Amino acid sequence: MTLLEVRGLTRSFGGVRAVDEASFDVAAGSITALIGPNGAGKSTLFNIVSGFLRAERGTVRFAGRAMQRRTPHRIARAGLVRTFQTPRALTKLSVLENVLLAAPHHPGERLGRVFATPRAVRSHEAAAEREARRLLELVRLDRHADEYAGTLSGGERKLLDFARVLMTEPRLILLDEPMAGVNPTLGGQLLEHILELREERGVAFLLIEHDLDLVMRASDTVVVMNEGRILTVGTPDEVRRDERVVDAYLGAQG
Amino acid sequence: MSTVLSGEFWAFVGVVAGIYTIFGLGVQVQFGYTGLLNFGHVAFMAIGAYTMAILTVKTGIGMWAAAVIAIGVSILAGLLLGLPTLRLRADYFAITTIAFSEIVRYVALNEDRLTGGSQGTINLAGAGAAAQYDESWQRFQTRAQAWLHLGSKDVTMLVLVWSAALVLLVLLHLAVRSPWGRVLRSIREDEDAAASLGKNVFSYKLQSLAVGAVLGAVAGLFYAWQFSFFSPDDFAPLVTFFAYTIVILGGTARTWAVPVGAILFGVIYAGTRFFDFPPFSYFDSADRAYLRLAVIGVILIALMAFRPQGLFGKRDEMVLE
Repeated sequence: MTLLEVRGLTRSFGGVRAVDEASFDVAAGSITALIGPNGAGKSTLFNIVSGFLRAERGTVRFAGRAMQRRTPHRIARAGLVRTFQTPRALTKLSVLENVLLAAPHHPGERLGRVFATPRAVRSHEAAAEREARRLLELVRLDRHADEYAGTLSGGERKLLDFARVLMTEPRLILLDEPMAGVNPTLGGQLLEHILELREERGVAFLLIEHDLDLVMRASDTVVVMNEGRILTVGTPDEVRRDERVVDAYLGAQG
Repeated sequence: MSTVLSGEFWAFVGVVAGIYTIFGLGVQVQFGYTGLLNFGHVAFMAIGAYTMAILTVKTGIGMWAAAVIAIGVSILAGLLLGLPTLRLRADYFAITTIAFSEIVRYVALNEDRLTGGSQGTINLAGAGAAAQYDESWQRFQTRAQAWLHLGSKDVTMLVLVWSAALVLLVLLHLAVRSPWGRVLRSIREDEDAAASLGKNVFSYKLQSLAVGAVLGAVAGLFYAWQFSFFSPDDFAPLVTFFAYTIVILGGTARTWAVPVGAILFGVIYAGTRFFDFPPFSYFDSADRAYLRLAVIGVILIALMAFRPQGLFGKRDEMVLE
């Protein structure tokens, strides 16, 4: 079943087509890797799909609903949640608060409810806190729960972003270079979590990643981009054998 | 001079500090928690004061109903300001808000027939007929004074202003400590991150602006009740920056820091005029009135240099990135 359907997305910056007629699908519960050399348009594509950039043309459908005109927060609420290439820890909030912030449908985020139904708000907050602490344990940040997120290292912030995204109860997670700057041991654990989440909750992943070994091992489908276009889509084996992919990475010969 | 020792004078300083507490809480929620650089906060004070006074004098409705409507009008003005400007980048938003407060002041200055013009509210009912909007307030104050067995009107006003300030302070404290306040702080830190987690950044900014508008309007009401007559000059942009001084003095994103900052500010601002010992006694009283602005400036500079987090802010938070 197709969860995300991208059709003919186009976006240019000052005459350069950063994304050019891009079309591909992400199946529900799958892990799809988006690869390509630097400047291929991967991050721009992410920004369009997550609503942070408008496309000039093309459509994005998620779970059957059109997303291309929606604002980022509405796309996130629909279950399509992203992380950023450089992690966006809210530094002056505690690590725990960072994750709590992502709790979906929290009545306490309505000012009226804070005063009208304080008990419902408190019990929801307590439940959210249990879940947040569980997620922090998952990414091994539970020791730092009450510290400012600003005290975390770059790699730890990636993990915090990951925990935060999970807190939103997503159906599809867009990960922008989740392994960059994370030490290999933690990276391996992160990958395990990704595989586990897919098994247990059927969460789908679309990830930009430069570690091709990892991409080939973990993903079901690989989407290759080059100069704004989708070069090819296939299984890791198919993509590995595709000469155009090798050319794109190493530079075409003659 | 005996002024420094008179209870009446210090009661007055306390009333001003109470009004500035309510006013400063508005800046605290907008700037301290949400990160909105609203440099036009004084407009809400002006709208609150003027709407109440105009409605009371020119229509038959009572002062209390007029006060409630004034708060409503201030919220509407906040929304009107926010809808087109909140999508702007922070610095452009800041510039627009100053313009907004100046527009409000200039309207008050030039729409003579509505506001009394440059002469202020004494001229509300037209020349020759001194207008009064605060009869109901005077009656209420007299009753409160008798009920509380207080000695003077000034002390009664002090109690009333600070009661209102403390109630608002507690309510705001509960609000900003709730998950709602957490969303505001996340927007202050990184609004893209907040949006990526499903938070409607624009809506929360509007709410923050509206809450600030209510606090600004309530401060305006007390200002109007305290001074009986006021004019557009009372709502110059400087007043907004006094509130920022108070918030920075006390510490940003700390609700309880606002009244402390406001009291300190009140003492420095109202007090220095009457400080008749050296070095203040080297100046005459008119010069001393200007000197206080310099004193406030020096304190702000010293604070930025040695204690940028304010009296109650957390140093740790200043160095995180």
